[in-house]
Amino acid sequence: MLRFILRRTFGAVLILLLISAFTFFMYYAIPQDPATLACGKNCTPDALAIIHKNLGLDDPIPVQYWKFLSGLFAGRDFAVGHCPAPCFGVSFRDQQMVWDTIMDRFPLTLSLTIGGLLVFLIVGLGTGLIAARYRGTWLDKTFSSISLVLSSMQIYFLGPVVLGIFVYSTGWLDKPKYVPFSENPAQWFMGLLIPWIVMSVIFTANYTRMSRSTMIEQLQEEHVRAARAKGMTGRYVFFRYAWRGSLIPILTILGMDLSALLGGAVVTEFTFGLAGIGRLAVDSVVGKDLPKLMGVMLFSAAFILLLNVIVDALYAVIDPRVRLS
Amino acid sequence: MTTLTKPEDAPAAGASDAFLSVRDLHVRFATEDGVVKAVDGLSFDLERGTTLGIVGESGSGKSVTNLSILGLHNPLSTTIEGEIVLDGKELITATEPELEKLRGNKMAMIFQDALTALSPYHSVGRQIGEPFRKHTGASKREARERAIEMLEKVGIPHAKRRVDDYPHQFSGGMRQRAMIAMSLVCNPDLLIADEPTTALDVTVQAQILDLLKDLQQEFGSAIIMITHDLGVVANMADDLLVMYAGRAVERGTVREVLKTPQHPYTWGLLASMPRLTADVDEPLTPIAGAPPSLLNPPSGCPFHPRCAFRNEVEGADRCVDIRPELPTGRGAACHLTSDQKSRIFTETIRPRLG
Amino acid sequence: MSIISSSRARTAVVAVAAGALALAGCSSSDSGNGKDKSKSKKEAAAQSAAVTMGTAADSTGPAEEVPGAKPGGTIQVYEEDDFSHLDPGQIYVSDAGLLSKLIFRGLTTYKEDDKGALTVVGDLATDPGKMSDGGKTWTYTLKDGIKDETGHVIDSADVRHTFERLYDPFITDGPSYIQQWMSGSGTTYRKAYAGPFKGGKHLPDSVLATPDDKTVVFHFKVAQPDLPQALAMAGYSVVPEKTDTKAKYDTKPVALGPYKVSEFKAGKSVKLVKNTNWDAKSDAMRHQYVDGFNIDINHDDEDQTKTILADRGDAKNAIMMTGQVATTQVQKVVSNAAAMKRTIQGYAPYVWQMNFNMDRIKDKKIRDAITYAMPSTAMYKTDGGAYGGEVANSLMSPTTPGYQKNYDPFDRSKKPNGDIEKAKKLIDEAGAKGMKIVYAYANVPVRQQQAVLVENALTKIGLDVQKKEIDAATWYEQVGKVKNGFDIYMTGWGQDWSSASTVFPPLYDGTQIQDGASNYAHINDDHVNSEIQRILKITDTAEATKAWTALNQYISEKVNPASPIYYTKTFQIAGTNVGGLRYSTVTSYTDPTRVFLKS
Repeated sequence: MLRFILRRTFGAVLILLLISAFTFFMYYAIPQDPATLACGKNCTPDALAIIHKNLGLDDPIPVQYWKFLSGLFAGRDFAVGHCPAPCFGVSFRDQQMVWDTIMDRFPLTLSLTIGGLLVFLIVGLGTGLIAARYRGTWLDKTFSSISLVLSSMQIYFLGPVVLGIFVYSTGWLDKPKYVPFSENPAQWFMGLLIPWIVMSVIFTANYTRMSRSTMIEQLQEEHVRAARAKGMTGRYVFFRYAWRGSLIPILTILGMDLSALLGGAVVTEFTFGLAGIGRLAVDSVVGKDLPKLMGVMLFSAAFILLLNVIVDALYAVIDPRVRLS
Repeated sequence: MTTLTKPEDAPAAGASDAFLSVRDLHVRFATEDGVVKAVDGLSFDLERGTTLGIVGESGSGKSVTNLSILGLHNPLSTTIEGEIVLDGKELITATEPELEKLRGNKMAMIFQDALTALSPYHSVGRQIGEPFRKHTGASKREARERAIEMLEKVGIPHAKRRVDDYPHQFSGGMRQRAMIAMSLVCNPDLLIADEPTTALDVTVQAQILDLLKDLQQEFGSAIIMITHDLGVVANMADDLLVMYAGRAVERGTVREVLKTPQHPYTWGLLASMPRLTADVDEPLTPIAGAPPSLLNPPSGCPFHPRCAFRNEVEGADRCVDIRPELPTGRGAACHLTSDQKSRIFTETIRPRLG
Repeated sequence: MSIISSSRARTAVVAVAAGALALAGCSSSDSGNGKDKSKSKKEAAAQSAAVTMGTAADSTGPAEEVPGAKPGGTIQVYEEDDFSHLDPGQIYVSDAGLLSKLIFRGLTTYKEDDKGALTVVGDLATDPGKMSDGGKTWTYTLKDGIKDETGHVIDSADVRHTFERLYDPFITDGPSYIQQWMSGSGTTYRKAYAGPFKGGKHLPDSVLATPDDKTVVFHFKVAQPDLPQALAMAGYSVVPEKTDTKAKYDTKPVALGPYKVSEFKAGKSVKLVKNTNWDAKSDAMRHQYVDGFNIDINHDDEDQTKTILADRGDAKNAIMMTGQVATTQVQKVVSNAAAMKRTIQGYAPYVWQMNFNMDRIKDKKIRDAITYAMPSTAMYKTDGGAYGGEVANSLMSPTTPGYQKNYDPFDRSKKPNGDIEKAKKLIDEAGAKGMKIVYAYANVPVRQQQAVLVENALTKIGLDVQKKEIDAATWYEQVGKVKNGFDIYMTGWGQDWSSASTVFPPLYDGTQIQDGASNYAHINDDHVNSEIQRILKITDTAEATKAWTALNQYISEKVNPASPIYYTKTFQIAGTNVGGLRYSTVTSYTDPTRVFLKS
């Protein structure tokens, strides 16, 4: 187990390093001057030179990268104050510590991804199970058709439609809004309800179909029949024997969907005017804000890596063959 | 004479005093291509403490018959007609909860491949103990104790330690033993063994068969042994039923059927079996043709398209037009006369068998 | 207010443009639906009136009550983009400029009447300034006992510090008028003085003197009659010396106005609450009716308009700051009488003009031909529909004093969508048929749409148009290069205060041609250059205004460095519970200092 953890940690650090190097040098591979965006009226060469100096763009690029890397572990000092490790630096645009901004934005994105994940897992797996249980009945057919329609939806289409119907026209729900869970759990829930649902729709349909088909497959497994032959009830066998097995292929797909989920969060944040990591990512690209870009890239990558480790751990929880070999 | 003395057209099942009595069983599956007649008018009886072997090619209806007894067929697509009476209880009309009480308790099943029949997600001990808890209301600990006891009984060394292992941690033979333990945990009166040794290598096969025999002695269970291996049947069974295309084509005691087989299909089965006494270079004789489609089974005698002796039958196309009945007791469903049967067997078949 | 030259504003323009794409189809129905309700030029007359200098009496508080105003409640604001800066020294653009109206105070400010006429009054100072030495010396006396949010009483040292800190290299955005007037043009002022943080040196008394706690004296080399207006810019709001945190100030500024920042989350939200140390009696123009403002970022125009139209929950209390009624929603708003009652309209100061690179197109006939050919109507309609703009007759904005609505050198009023015949004739006369014209535009939907219109028109008059699409983020950098390699490119510019002195010198002064400067046409005309220098020194506002008007005519008729295309307009909506809604000439948006909540 220790070796597993060590190996994963080492791998993760290596991946993050590669991402950071790639992002950093790609940023400079594009002919662009981030200083021009911070340069006001009468952006003369003199004015640009001052900004270059302020942003630390005077150093050679490898030196800048080295400073960034060492800042990650040792912290750095900036005009706006000391930036403790892990220091992603100070934004070119708003002069805020990137780490602080990410910490401020992350709870929303976390709420969004975890909430969306739960919604599509619960709804998707649930309807899939029902469809598999009542395979061939009208219920199964209804779920299958709905999931087929929904799977072709896109967040940026569905979002405005849902807003138009439930918020702008009927006023049944309030406009999505982020209130921290710690502040008011009820408002947190109500504020994110629409984003969760819209974001999960594209995934839900997929998981309904997958849950249904893997479940049907599992129900035909010999060990399911063997359990029935022991006199175990249909429901018991359905959940204890078949469902357990059906989770493994779903988990595999889930592992691959994690980055798509984060991508979905970006679109969702834009669709509903929420400010999370996704918004930050786009802002940093538009704003040529290298420190923010690096911060967001590394942080999201680390987040996805962490989720992947959790998924791997879940394999072990579900399947003793993974756990014990 | 043995248990198999009841005529095919015996009186209603209720009147039968056999432990298990199957009467005129029809099993049909609705598939996209049409209706599959998996079992077509099957009848047999089984007494306590005895073993019935059922042999036949794959798709001959052996396994379907047994799933029907357990009630494990898919109710949406399967139609079952006829009667299955277990110890006076009609099973076809029984409700699901009633069947659940019987399964694993009064009747149990040993599956062909323990690797697939044991769930990889639960420990062996739990899978053995589960039906025990369900049928006896035992506690978790009692069930575990029982599982250890059963594992010991089927010859798993260090049963106390291995009880919490998962199936993948067991070897093939041990898995099969564990599954036997699982099926016997509630002392079932009827044990259905569906090719219980096919997946095992030969030495282990013999051990398992011995184990089954020992256990049968101890528990007094009736066993239905499904197999395509006549060797296994010869070793284990008292009576033998040969199935072809969902029908019984020959029955009798093991000795009768193996020594003086009467049905051309049985001859074919025997001829296709390797013999220790045969020359090494002597070719095996497979049955010509392919197994029939159950979607559209041949008319008359279902074996007629593959039968080498249909020309010997008097009367044009009798084999094609008329379905031969399986006579009462010992006999075969074939239009050949008894004389013809014994002549052909003695003159043509036996020499081939060596 | 300044323009589109700062980064944030650029992004804002991009966003507006993105919204505008969908509405091209709608714009025809704008006019089809009965009367066009958008305000016409004559109604905006007050906006172009010259600014009046107020008296000491005008400069005293409290401000005149807004009829029906009630205290309490929190105003909700939806904004698309983050505020670029909160440090006043870095504030140049309208979004932060609006915010600064609520939280900062400078030496002077504007009072505005119901018609939009402006009076410059003293804000922290007792009056808009005492001019002496022919406009070279200005003296300001501070009002008594004005406190910042920490309770510190503002004195002359704070005012001096406010100007001195602008020389430090960390200040890179924001206006530089006064620094240049004090210490040298361009960026040379930075060489004259390094700022107060290194070594604690002050500007010499010969430039900026503080003879006592209450008095500040500016000395300039040449007359600067516009100083009172320059001082009213957000960028010259006072930063108290003791609490100046330099670079950090940009996220945690110290308030002097009626509200202070209680929470600032970059790119997400800003919360303002009452500044209890603000005294209404000291303030001639601000009110403190509501308890605070909640500003939520990341809502585009479409989102803002729909939310405010739906009028539910917080949106009832909402105003727009720099948002506009989304073009797709214009029809919905104007056809709804009740909704129209909660809108405001007015000119924004921006003039969009097609600049000619005079280094490359040297023949005035060709420039005239292109000017006549421009399809102005079609072009402004792609940028916000009938309510988003108006055909520009000349290079002077209706918001600039000296603007003449009848001055129409290119017959725009008769042929608002271009005079192809005339243009063709001019091209033939110039013998320029088939001439290659490199046309640069930014890669945002609205500019791309306009590019098609322009290309069609110029092809019709016989020119060979080569389109060059440019990354919007680097647009001003690329066209700002002296050797940019383009022939024509459209830019927008607006005044910094109500005077052409903030428009003509940066755009048409031939001595200012350098990389990054705003003389995009590279016009270098001796008469224009000398006139600019002369008019800048005229201390009489009326006389100066007249002179600018004349110069405007000269530039268009004799040089024609740029074709006027369209003026932009503001069209905003607020929630039903918002009272005191008024368009402000100063900011060209809803005036946030006088809004209140009805219940």
